[in-house]
Amino acid sequence: MATVFYDKAVVEVRLGDQKEQLLASDCSLNYAGARQPLYAIGTKGSLGQFPSAARAGDVSFSFLTSITGNFFGYKGNIINTLASGIKNNVTNGSETSGVEIKFAGVSGSGFLTSYGLGVAANSISSSNASFTFFGSGDQLPFSGRLAPVDGMVIDEVEGKLSTGIAHGRYTNLDNFATVLGTPTDTANVFGAEYSLSLNYNPIYKVGQEFPTTCLYTNAQESVTITEDVFNSGLPFDGLANQDVILTVSGLPVEAFGEELHLPGMEIGISGYKVVSTSMSAGLDDIVRTQKAITAAY
Amino acid sequence: MLGRIRREAEKITINRTGILGVQSISTQYESVARPLDSLGITEIQYAPQGAQTASLQLNTLLTNTLGAGYGGSYSLDVMQNFTGDIPFSGIIDYGTEKIYFSQGYMETYSVSCGIGEIPQTSTTSAIYGDFGTGVLFSEYAQDPGLIPSLNIPSYSSMEVNLDEFTTNRMTSFSVDIATPRVPIYTLNADKPDKVIAGTPIEVNVNFSLDIDDYEIKNMRFVPEQTVFRDTTITLKKNNSDVELLRYSFDNMLLTSESFRAGVDSNAAINFNLRSFILR
Repeated sequence: MATVFYDKAVVEVRLGDQKEQLLASDCSLNYAGARQPLYAIGTKGSLGQFPSAARAGDVSFSFLTSITGNFFGYKGNIINTLASGIKNNVTNGSETSGVEIKFAGVSGSGFLTSYGLGVAANSISSSNASFTFFGSGDQLPFSGRLAPVDGMVIDEVEGKLSTGIAHGRYTNLDNFATVLGTPTDTANVFGAEYSLSLNYNPIYKVGQEFPTTCLYTNAQESVTITEDVFNSGLPFDGLANQDVILTVSGLPVEAFGEELHLPGMEIGISGYKVVSTSMSAGLDDIVRTQKAITAAY
Repeated sequence: MLGRIRREAEKITINRTGILGVQSISTQYESVARPLDSLGITEIQYAPQGAQTASLQLNTLLTNTLGAGYGGSYSLDVMQNFTGDIPFSGIIDYGTEKIYFSQGYMETYSVSCGIGEIPQTSTTSAIYGDFGTGVLFSEYAQDPGLIPSLNIPSYSSMEVNLDEFTTNRMTSFSVDIATPRVPIYTLNADKPDKVIAGTPIEVNVNFSLDIDDYEIKNMRFVPEQTVFRDTTITLKKNNSDVELLRYSFDNMLLTSESFRAGVDSNAAINFNLRSFILR
């Protein structure tokens, strides 16, 4: 029996020779092997349950949006680097390899299937990610056993403000605000929800349970902006392709006797279209509007 | 050397108006910094979670009011004027130190009086702007520009217009006004973009009576005994007919009655009237 308290259940993502232990607030791991009962005429009951698909698993977790990492030249957490790398993957024939995920002693090679991030006024930003584990060749989707794993001590200084976490107080998304003309009106932005979903095509061959390779196929991303201006002129064609950068920032750091803001973590959104707008009200609140923009890769 | 600060070295100024007759002041904030927790946690770091606000409570005797020239659209009670959508800033002086605050919005206002008492007001306010030490205002704004006049109302010179008081003796009353506030926060800001004066305003008026022939009503919603009352309480300057303050509310619903009797007291009734004002 392994009794593992949460402080020994670190979530670690390794991408090539670089890794990050994420500040996860929850994590769940599922592992399943599909079985199908077979029946035959003349036989009462089933002949047995037989595998109907390869064993596969998934891991999903939420984590505080850490922004001070630097992986392969991308600023921010390793999940953001991974997501950016995959969705812009157009040069290597779309063949992709998984990244190593470790959670409380259990590890496997997973493919990022979804990534999301939320930011709201005066709140700490939270992100989420999901991975699918297909296994590979003779390699099982997961290996290891539940065991306590110590987290790495990043900073020995105790009692300090966290400057490496994205926060709504310090995140400026005015570049997403709806601007209307005649009469001019510019929205206040109250919050944003970003999500990215990625699709893969694992290639299985006869005589082998797990795929020989895995192809990245496509990705869609969307950002829902909560603000206070409703644009009734939703265009049929979504306007021309546009690029925008979603930048989330954290608390200022003190350096050279001054407060400085570290550069925020960026998510580049290419060729986006505005696909919907809405407005809603509840008791004791203002009418808030939402617009959704999407991009596809 | 240890020292102490007594009441003579304390004062409060709101919107450059000196508040007089103060019985007590309390103000406080609670940090919204919370420790970050995570799976595999190895260290404690803090980050603000939620909007940072402070609060201010003020109790004053109604001994000083604005001059008659401020009548009309203003209440002569300085604090009652903040039950609307006007924010306030101010300074609390204690000894040589000061506490500054800005963007204060009143959330509750109460006035009460009993036999043998000077009417007293109590207010609670939320501070959405700045709070603390330092220089938040110009030197010019730190001194009170207006000192209210001495005008003392008393229990003996007030008027209350409820029918029960012809045969039943009112011993005390209170008026409680709750003014909701809705701060609207945006990204990249720690102060609200605006503070909306919420609606409705809830008004509760409580009376205590030493009774003679007062009849308790049926607590079921019997139409003929469901009571709606117009209530007006007028405070006048002591030993005069000069009206200082008038609290007037229409169509208040009788929402509670309580009866009490004891071996060493008169039979007494407390009742509450409530109404809601849309704004």
